[in-house]
Amino acid sequence: MATASIGARRHRRGHAGLLFILPSGLIILVFVIYPIVQSLWMSLHDWSMFQVTHPFVGLANYAGLLHDPRFWNALLNTIVFTVATVPLQIAIGLLLALKLVRSSWWTIFLRSVFFFPVISSFATMAIVWRFLLSADVGPTAAWLRSAGIAPIDALHTPSLALPAVILVGLWKNIGFTMVILLAALQDVPESLKEAAVLDGANPWRRFLNVTLPSIRHALLFASIIAVIVSLQVFDQVYVMTRGGPLFRTETLVTYMYEQGFTEYRSGYAAAIAWVLFLIIMAISVVQLRFFRYRDVD
Amino acid sequence: MNTILKALAASSLLAVGLASHASAAPVTLTYWSGFTGGDKQAYEDLIKKFNTTHTDIQIDYQEQPWDSIAQKLPTAIISGAGPDLATPDYNVATLQQYVANGLALPLDGLIGTGADQVAPGVLPQTVTDSFSVDGKLYAVPANFATLLLYYNKDLLAKAGIAAPPKTMTELQDDAVKLSDGQGQYGIALADNATIQMWPVLIWADGGDLISGKCSALADPKTVGTVEKWAALIRDKKISPVGSTGQDADNLFAAGKAAFEINGPWAAGQYKAAKVNFDVAPVPVGASGKPVTLASTVPTIVSSKTAHPKEAQAFLAWWLSKETQAQLSTSAGYAPSRTDMATDPSITGNPTVAAFTAQVGNSRLYLPTEKDFAKIDTGIFIPAIQSAEQNGNAADALKSASDQLNSLLGCQ
Repeated sequence: MATASIGARRHRRGHAGLLFILPSGLIILVFVIYPIVQSLWMSLHDWSMFQVTHPFVGLANYAGLLHDPRFWNALLNTIVFTVATVPLQIAIGLLLALKLVRSSWWTIFLRSVFFFPVISSFATMAIVWRFLLSADVGPTAAWLRSAGIAPIDALHTPSLALPAVILVGLWKNIGFTMVILLAALQDVPESLKEAAVLDGANPWRRFLNVTLPSIRHALLFASIIAVIVSLQVFDQVYVMTRGGPLFRTETLVTYMYEQGFTEYRSGYAAAIAWVLFLIIMAISVVQLRFFRYRDVD
Repeated sequence: MNTILKALAASSLLAVGLASHASAAPVTLTYWSGFTGGDKQAYEDLIKKFNTTHTDIQIDYQEQPWDSIAQKLPTAIISGAGPDLATPDYNVATLQQYVANGLALPLDGLIGTGADQVAPGVLPQTVTDSFSVDGKLYAVPANFATLLLYYNKDLLAKAGIAAPPKTMTELQDDAVKLSDGQGQYGIALADNATIQMWPVLIWADGGDLISGKCSALADPKTVGTVEKWAALIRDKKISPVGSTGQDADNLFAAGKAAFEINGPWAAGQYKAAKVNFDVAPVPVGASGKPVTLASTVPTIVSSKTAHPKEAQAFLAWWLSKETQAQLSTSAGYAPSRTDMATDPSITGNPTVAAFTAQVGNSRLYLPTEKDFAKIDTGIFIPAIQSAEQNGNAADALKSASDQLNSLLGCQ
């Protein structure tokens, strides 16, 4: 009898739980799940937003990507952007977090300074950076000229445009990584550090063997987010270079935007989106395995 | 019985009264417009004027960035939730997509001699050709502009140049003289995200992008023109490389470029920047014929509109002489009518008169190509940028020509 009563209570609690999550579930279903499924459906069709009917083409869009040099160029640029950005973002974010971990008015002020770009609009900041980096009308160029140095037009130089976009991305996102790692550093048990000091470990050994393992979960989170954000880079590229010069900064998302909203090939653009999704999924799985494998706790 | 009859009579009277009231209410047309730039006020004033003078039709004028319209308009029309009127894109060729997919209403009743109609032959032929498919007109111009050569009078005077150049050779020589290789440019030549300037240079020398139905990018005249200008840009630094239209405008406004090929919309910005400028016809090139670029934005009526008659009435009003005169004088555009060249409102305004005088020499850029975006951003612009950066105009244009022919279905 008692067992039946417990079971009935669990059943009612289960119902109540479902009802509580129903509103959020509906929102997720309509605004997240449905668009994901719809985009997969679109990628299997010759889909244009101008047309009422959309012929089914199977994997033709995906096959088209294999033979599309612009797609491979965009993929390469995206990978280069990610490989350059993520390690630097983590390393510089960690360095800043280590330096600013102790709370004082000065460190609190600096934390705000580094975090400010994170909360500002990326498109707006990209416009500002475009102006700053302009070799013709930008203040940086004017200062350099006044110092007798010829300014470099980075945004219009094929070999320098992507590094310039990477630097702006780093400037924008380092603060986010810093805050994540700062919180993790502040949670590292003092007892572990003291024990390491008593064992004669120098600062570098303490960092490697105590601090890093203790903040591994935060490093995992920060690196996964950094990779996802980097692979989806769009704002600063679209505003600063529009993928130029000569497609040297065109990324998967800017190419997807052009295909979907300039050439109106929504099905093809959806196929690019799904390829990007699979790449992000694969990299995320590898990252999770890498950090779990190193788990010594 | 009497009570019932009285009640019925009263209800009938009430219904008739309500119906009369309903039929007197104006028809409201929604109009999505992409004119959010410097000429925005001119359009708003005209819409306000229409609404004030028309009690039977009211325009709900909604301005949005061009990107927003491009993303929303097709699906909005298909779903029936779209506007009655819209400017789909500042690129004329986009109209072809709307027509091919049945999203734009043919304006059968617009051309004629009645009230709420536009007389035959009033629209420029280039507009009629570009806005018609299979003999039916599908749009009217929201505006019509030509490009002229803006020049900075102070910079020219300082360099001892007495008058703006009349030939392309003079323009090139002047541009070299006015460049110092250290951020002071002879000309601001944009090559992307702009109302195109490079086609004007190519047409002036007798070249083209498409000739007949096939690519003319590898034509010797096209290649020669691009080679010449690219070499001057690379070697003599007469213009920055890779500029957008906005970059070029900023350069001219900042007094860092002496020439720019631009439309009437830029004049306000330059006046506000206190540039001492004037305009002159685009110099004549090796072809010997004056030529410039025409720019026009189509206004369509949605194929799903519930008020086609009222929408066409608005378009007829838009194309009336009075409306076109006000648009020209307030925004600097040439009128979209061929019968106003001697109108005092046009001839009395030197800037408007200068732009209007070039209407007959103007050409639209890829007006009927459905793959306009692919040709412009995917083929033509990269070829120009490659020529500017690498000095390989012949190879870049040959490769671009092959791609273009493949797209056009030419061998």
